[in-house]
Amino acid sequence: MDLFLLTALAGAVLALDGTSMAQTMVSRPLVAAPVTGWLLGDPTLGLAIGALLEVYLLVSFPTGGARSPEGATAAVVAVATAAGVDAPGAVPLGVAMGLIWGQVGGLTVSGIRKVNARLVPGPEAPQPDRISAAHALAVALDGLRGAAAAVVGVALGRPLVSLLASSWPLGGTESRALLLAGGAVCAGILLRSLGGFRRHRIVLALGMAVGLVGARFL
Amino acid sequence: MSRTLGWRALVAVFLRAFLIQGSWNYRTMQGSGFAFSLVPALRELHGDDVKGYEEALRRHLEHFNAHPYLAHLALGAVLRLEAEGEGAEGIRRFKGAIRGPLGGIGDALVWASWLPAVSLTALSLIWLGFSGWWVILGFLALYNSGHLSLRLWSFRAGWAGGRAVGRLLGAAALTGWTERVRSVAGLALGLFIGVILAGEGGLGSAGASWTALAAAAFVVGAVVGQRLWRPATAAVVAAVALLATWGWIA
Repeated sequence: MDLFLLTALAGAVLALDGTSMAQTMVSRPLVAAPVTGWLLGDPTLGLAIGALLEVYLLVSFPTGGARSPEGATAAVVAVATAAGVDAPGAVPLGVAMGLIWGQVGGLTVSGIRKVNARLVPGPEAPQPDRISAAHALAVALDGLRGAAAAVVGVALGRPLVSLLASSWPLGGTESRALLLAGGAVCAGILLRSLGGFRRHRIVLALGMAVGLVGARFL
Repeated sequence: MSRTLGWRALVAVFLRAFLIQGSWNYRTMQGSGFAFSLVPALRELHGDDVKGYEEALRRHLEHFNAHPYLAHLALGAVLRLEAEGEGAEGIRRFKGAIRGPLGGIGDALVWASWLPAVSLTALSLIWLGFSGWWVILGFLALYNSGHLSLRLWSFRAGWAGGRAVGRLLGAAALTGWTERVRSVAGLALGLFIGVILAGEGGLGSAGASWTALAAAAFVVGAVVGQRLWRPATAAVVAAVALLATWGWIA
């Protein structure tokens, strides 16, 4: 099936889970990226990108009215721009594209929220029973928004990734290290949000010990 | 005046609440979703009294915001108050009092603790080489077991407790649970760091310079906090763009 059609489908369904429907976390990059990869014929790429993007979005979640990057759009665009590009730079460029487009996705979410304010009846509205139809329309529009954001991101990003990926100067290990170094900032931010090093030094050390041993022997 | 509410209406409200954020907007936030969720129950409670139904719907179209999983608690409690014939002002005051705690507790327990705990555990298993699809399924199963339990508990507690739901919230000691889950998230973070340092294809195999850079980045992130997120990701994107351009030109 056409890349853009599949991207639109993934963008719509996965974006809905981000805010409008259920929030079961299929919209997280950890899930959304492999699913997109599977749809496009490269689940391994999807998993690689999803695992990296998830680190960056560890501290990104919707609270109140604050604008946050949109994980689903980030993941779909990241994978769809890199899918089928058999070159060393596909993953880092895909991740970078995902990080950019996650911010754009967040902007589109803000936009749709402004539209929703006009769509739904307020407490003073003459026909409050309109709410069911208006709410359903808002959900549908959010799906369309997700689809459109994903398709535009792929349309803009894929030519760039295709152009630059083959001349990427770093090897696979160094590329991952670069992205992990950036992700380390996010891990640090997460530690702070959990209460800081002092509060969790014992469990942090215990976890690290298990991780180091596990990585050695598994 | 107390009125009855059938189980079908309660189930309909519970299920509709999974879409409570569908029309989130900056004017009433979750207000429209809150009203949308209550429609089947309000119809049943008010029967042929169209005016009463519309008045009830209007008061629930007002501003409201809470964590989407814990909004079920407010919905259940409000339904109890509506069924017991509580006045509009009483319901309004109740909603105003409960929304703050439901937002704060939910954000701390779910977004800031449960999600990272489960996510980091899954990431660690993936980096250790476990089957990606099984890990993803495990992630979804584990996360949503907590998610759905919270929604179900909230709704039942709200419906059973009504106005006394504040006491039930206190008894449930969700703040205590948040601390425990935060510790689990700390453990999972340590696990992930260990795996990334020593795992195949991780920082350890890239060399000491990369490990030192990541360690420094981690410390800076832990010291500065959330406001560093955007500049840090922008720096990574810029680095990737520069490297890609340099590779293309060279």
